[in-house]
Amino acid sequence: MSVTEPALLSLTDVADAIATKTISSREATQSCLDRAVKSQPSLNAYMSIEADAALAAADAADAALARGQSRGVLHGVPLAHKDMYYDEGHVVTCGSHIRRDWVATTTATSLQRLKDAGTVRLGSLQMVEFAYGPLGHNVHYGAVHNPWHVDHVTGGSSSGSGSAVAARLTFAALGSDTGGSIRLPAHFCGVSGLKTTVGLVSRAGAMPLSQSLDTVGPLARTVEDCALITGLMAGADPLDPTTSTRSVPDYMAATRASAKGMTVGIPKAFYVDDLDADTAAILQNTIATLKDEGVKIVEVDLPNQGQLTAACQFVLATEAAAMHKRWMIERPQDYGAQVLMRLQNGLAITGVSYIEALRWRGPALAAYLAAVTGTDAVLAPVSPGAAPTIAETDVGNSSGAEAMIQRLTRFTRPINYLGLPGLSIPAGFTKSKLPVGMQLIGRPFDEATLLTIGATFQRATDFHKQCPELA
Amino acid sequence: MTKPTAKQIKALTEVSGLPASDEVAERIATSIGPAFEGFAAVAGTLPFDLEPATFLAVQNTKAAK
Repeated sequence: MSVTEPALLSLTDVADAIATKTISSREATQSCLDRAVKSQPSLNAYMSIEADAALAAADAADAALARGQSRGVLHGVPLAHKDMYYDEGHVVTCGSHIRRDWVATTTATSLQRLKDAGTVRLGSLQMVEFAYGPLGHNVHYGAVHNPWHVDHVTGGSSSGSGSAVAARLTFAALGSDTGGSIRLPAHFCGVSGLKTTVGLVSRAGAMPLSQSLDTVGPLARTVEDCALITGLMAGADPLDPTTSTRSVPDYMAATRASAKGMTVGIPKAFYVDDLDADTAAILQNTIATLKDEGVKIVEVDLPNQGQLTAACQFVLATEAAAMHKRWMIERPQDYGAQVLMRLQNGLAITGVSYIEALRWRGPALAAYLAAVTGTDAVLAPVSPGAAPTIAETDVGNSSGAEAMIQRLTRFTRPINYLGLPGLSIPAGFTKSKLPVGMQLIGRPFDEATLLTIGATFQRATDFHKQCPELA
Repeated sequence: MTKPTAKQIKALTEVSGLPASDEVAERIATSIGPAFEGFAAVAGTLPFDLEPATFLAVQNTKAAK
């Protein structure tokens, strides 16, 4: 393998290259750091770049490997993650002013499991304040910019993760998805992103936003890379009693399987309504590609998805407001205007309405699963269009802000309410060269099927291999 | 279920311990109103013996294709 710029490798390939000593961890780390430093003024993807510590850790990884000691499948692989994963001894801002100097005293289980596999910390990635926003604006640390077009948003709330993975500033990154916060930046930035089933990956040590809806998952350059990360993180955790005790499938094996003979459902309504022309065309192209790969396509008639979106808003707004109530009383001036406005929305929902929304979750999931009987997954756009501009979406706490947010997230929130897995994959580009992603929606704990279909699609296309020019 | 008015929201925020101004209450009403409309067909219709944990039961029993 000839490697002129290691940062351009996929996660799986760089892990192999380090393991076989084709390149060193230092070379991989230096390559990511060079790109991160170069792009920071234009992208603002990193919250902190920790060059000296990263290179020291990389040197230690190389020395260990020279002694024949490997910590795991990601030995010496440098990564950075959304700045909401607690990492003992490190500042974790959660994208906020309130936690600007807060030092974590524990390490998130998901992060610890990646560390145990041998990763090197590059620093931390930007995010929307307290993960409460789908666009990528941040009044405290500045907006993150889309590497495909710096005037456009990245999507959020995992804004730095989307931008950094797309621009090859890290090989992969953790995000979190409560209302679309992995799938939206994956879609807007042209990378792969996996929203996991509620209960698959521990949330212990991950900043909470909504305990019923929060999920941990990766953004990466390929579906295979998402599989690798998810397989390392998934599984029961005594620190998060909501995690499932079921065994973790071999997700990497799932990516090597073919989707031939599988059945994918296309919603008759809602997810296909009011799409931008480019998105509508890319949906049809995606369907055609899957058909060419031997996937059977059928239409599915889903239950009222608008009701799911409304129920999701009840749960999210109430739980977020409850979580933040103390700071809303003591430090309201320290929130950005839009985040405070959205937290205040939760005050208008009564306890009875909130519990009703939670009680309906079971029947709503059962109705959805009945509607998709006979399919392996459902295919839908992630959002009605490609990334809007930063300027046009910089609406603060204006009266129209929530309506705009709801429009952008209306295809992602139903999936969060139902707790289902969703895999966002790059599926094409608009005429102005902005990425468009599609999401594959699966059954509970059936990430493996999504990974099989997604990997099959990526073997037939090259959208995921395209890389934006570094400004 | 009907969406709350700004006046009702103002009262709710006072009860919650985080009183909102008239302007903020109006903004909350505009923001959250569509969710109340969207959930209206479900609200008040759920059967008696249904608790939130039903979700976990469905999630685990319906996982197979």
